[in-house]
Amino acid sequence: MTGSDLFFGLVVLFLIGAASSVVLNKKDRICSYISFISAAIASLLGIIFSFSVILGNNFVFNVSGTFLNFGFFVDKLSAFFILIISITAFAVSIYSTGYVKEYFGKKNIGYLCFLYNIFILSMVLVVSANNALMFLIVWEMMSIISYFLVVYEHEKPETRKAGFIYIVMTHIGTGFILLSFLILASGSASFSFETFRAGVLTMPPLLRDAAFLFALIGFGTKAGIVPLHIWLPYAHPEAPSNVSALMSGVMIKTAIYMLIRVSFDFLGASVLWWGVLLLIIASASALLGVMYALMEHDIKRLLAFHSVENIGIILIGVSVSMIFMSTGHPELAAFGLIAALYHTMNHAIFKSLLFMGAGSLIFSTHTKNIEEMGGLLKKMPWTGMFFLIGSIAISALPPLNGFVSEWLTFHAQLLSINLSDNITKIIVLSSGAALALTSALAAACFVKAFGISFLALPRSEHARNASEAPGSMLFGMGILSLLCIALGVLSFYFLPVLDSIASPLSGASVLPKVAFDLSLAALSPQAGSISTIWIFLLLFVFVPVPFLLSLALGGRTKARTYETWGCGQPVCTARNEYTATGFSKPIRMWGSGIYRPHREIQTSYAGSPFFKERFTFDTQIEPIFEKYFYEPITRLAFFVSRILKVIQTGSIHIYLLYIFITLVIALIYVGVGG
Amino acid sequence: MSEIVLGSGIMQLLISLILVSTFLILGSTRLYSCVRAFGIQSFLLACVAGIVAYSTGKYDIYVVSILTLVIKALVIPYIFIYIIREIKVKREIALYVGISPSLIIGGILVVISYYLIRSINLIELSSFALSASMSMVAIGLFIMISRKKAIMQMLGILVMENGLFLGAISLTYGMPLLVELGIFFDVLIGALIMGIMIFRINRTFESIDTDMLKTLIG
Repeated sequence: MTGSDLFFGLVVLFLIGAASSVVLNKKDRICSYISFISAAIASLLGIIFSFSVILGNNFVFNVSGTFLNFGFFVDKLSAFFILIISITAFAVSIYSTGYVKEYFGKKNIGYLCFLYNIFILSMVLVVSANNALMFLIVWEMMSIISYFLVVYEHEKPETRKAGFIYIVMTHIGTGFILLSFLILASGSASFSFETFRAGVLTMPPLLRDAAFLFALIGFGTKAGIVPLHIWLPYAHPEAPSNVSALMSGVMIKTAIYMLIRVSFDFLGASVLWWGVLLLIIASASALLGVMYALMEHDIKRLLAFHSVENIGIILIGVSVSMIFMSTGHPELAAFGLIAALYHTMNHAIFKSLLFMGAGSLIFSTHTKNIEEMGGLLKKMPWTGMFFLIGSIAISALPPLNGFVSEWLTFHAQLLSINLSDNITKIIVLSSGAALALTSALAAACFVKAFGISFLALPRSEHARNASEAPGSMLFGMGILSLLCIALGVLSFYFLPVLDSIASPLSGASVLPKVAFDLSLAALSPQAGSISTIWIFLLLFVFVPVPFLLSLALGGRTKARTYETWGCGQPVCTARNEYTATGFSKPIRMWGSGIYRPHREIQTSYAGSPFFKERFTFDTQIEPIFEKYFYEPITRLAFFVSRILKVIQTGSIHIYLLYIFITLVIALIYVGVGG
Repeated sequence: MSEIVLGSGIMQLLISLILVSTFLILGSTRLYSCVRAFGIQSFLLACVAGIVAYSTGKYDIYVVSILTLVIKALVIPYIFIYIIREIKVKREIALYVGISPSLIIGGILVVISYYLIRSINLIELSSFALSASMSMVAIGLFIMISRKKAIMQMLGILVMENGLFLGAISLTYGMPLLVELGIFFDVLIGALIMGIMIFRINRTFESIDTDMLKTLIG
């Protein structure tokens, strides 16, 4: 099969999946199986297709007619993102066959399956578009379909609110993207991406700066950088979990793709301050994202804030690479880009895994609040294990994939020691400190998320009645869990692939200088090395050896069942347990400058003031971005609207009169002028 | 050869009559006579298309001419009459601007259109047809503004459409048939939808006075 067979095969399969869900609308079970399985097969084709491009030649397909002139162009970078989309979509599609059972009979399944297929297709088309107009069309398609998916459970008012915030933010973003493309197109007098590259060379620097800034705001909104991230914690929790896995795992990555495409491919990453600005924003996103995640008890909101954090980490890699590019270190730039791309892949995998895990939790406990879970590891051992693997990966613990890519990102930052400008050096190194803090806080956050929801005793009736998720859901999670391990332990097999993607963009290959065991000494004398395979062996082979030996040599030991020392407490119930609020308290106090927490304690007395019957404790943190950034803007918008409301009388005749007067004035103006 | 036929007095006469029928709509206070004037206007328009088809020898313009006759001169007036009969509206139209001021404003609009079109360099007849078409667009819009009943808004937009059709047929001697068919389809569906809207307005407000829509603002 050739590239175009595969590409159009997957497009057609997604369309079949969408069409069949329309046709079989009324038969929930058959409809969901057919459309999710065709999505899974299409994703498999996508995986094969992307490998054929990464290991072979670019895929080009052009259509030119009188009115429309569009095409697909899949180079290694696009193919890499198609790979990410396809892998995630494959696992999520399998997971979905089980997950949507929750909606059988309650909601329109055909509608969900239709949107789901078109959504994945639109993401594939976004990363393969070769023309700014076509890109904008598929980009809008992706945004609007994801909006409909977010408001799938539209009978809830908070879902409608989330959908509103999402669609407003995403359209503000599209507006800026349009501006950026218009500037880029003005340099080349064409909307084709190929001509953008040449057009930029003759462009005045100020316009190039503007194009970069607009692209940063536009794509940053979709990616969820601070302070444009506010839609993520609303939209991700409200969407069905399989959709939030795709949105958080993959959709926001399309923005990363376009940021890399615009800043490296089109604009050549030639200006130092672009990288520095992006680095500062990225570090802030990483740190603030994880700090807000720590305060969340809604498992999906928590994961959504972690997306902000991980987008920050990815962009740290991208921005460090841009800094190296503009200061003339192409090899180091390639290295930074590899780190960023690797983390993009890893985040897509473990974040989708975690969202699917969260979906399983919600599937069996019917609550999103982790304070109401607890003790689920016994009820749902497989989900628990997969969630734990995802947690370890996102916390960047060896030997899983998150560790490798964050280690590479750290190294990219530390290699800034080679820069000549001291101020830039200090900025990059302090962003390294921010990243270190971020990783530590992320680990703390997942200790909380996993510990509170899976360990100890059930905290509510929901958790007591939970049961394991169906096999298809576990299978979907299992695939991604294996990938988490494989991408961590076998990372060195993956590096040449990443290098072949990054080297055309940076103009240098870093591969000859990175040894088999991730030893970076040849790249820079200060750099270190690490062997993930040895860590893996150490942890899983050498550590168990003494235990096995003692078991073998010490003979059989006898187990006795006996009561634990109860600390003088006769009963131990769920009320005695550590809560998520309690766990995050130290961090809330440490970060009170940002969180601005305030609490309310109400005491009710039983008759006399000496006998306290019940305490109610309520603590809240202040959403600073919403309060100090978005609220003033909204107020201004309302103020202006109130003034403009005067001309909106509600009378159709007056509106027509406006048109009429404008028409007559315009005609007279033209008539007199011409 | 075609210029001779087109330039002939009969085209000028037809275009003037179309303009007169527009004033007929502007000047009558009865719904039925407005609709009748619209039907006459559409019939005249079909004649214009027929002459253009004859003089250029293009057969597809005959199709356009026949479609104009069927859809605009017969079907749409029938839709109007059906609506008027079904919702038992008062046969008199309510006005914001009285009949005589309306006619004066109409006249001023025609003068403005002629003045504006003169500044474009066109051959005599095209210039005449174009200014008539522009007057019709302006008067159609004015009808929409100055009449209260929803039916008159519908009529106004159809007059505007007729004006555009006149301009198109006399300047380009017919657009591609596909485009024309699309426009006819649009007009027909538009008329149907507007008709349905009028029924809905009537049911909601128990009147088709668009003044009532003011209550919808928040």
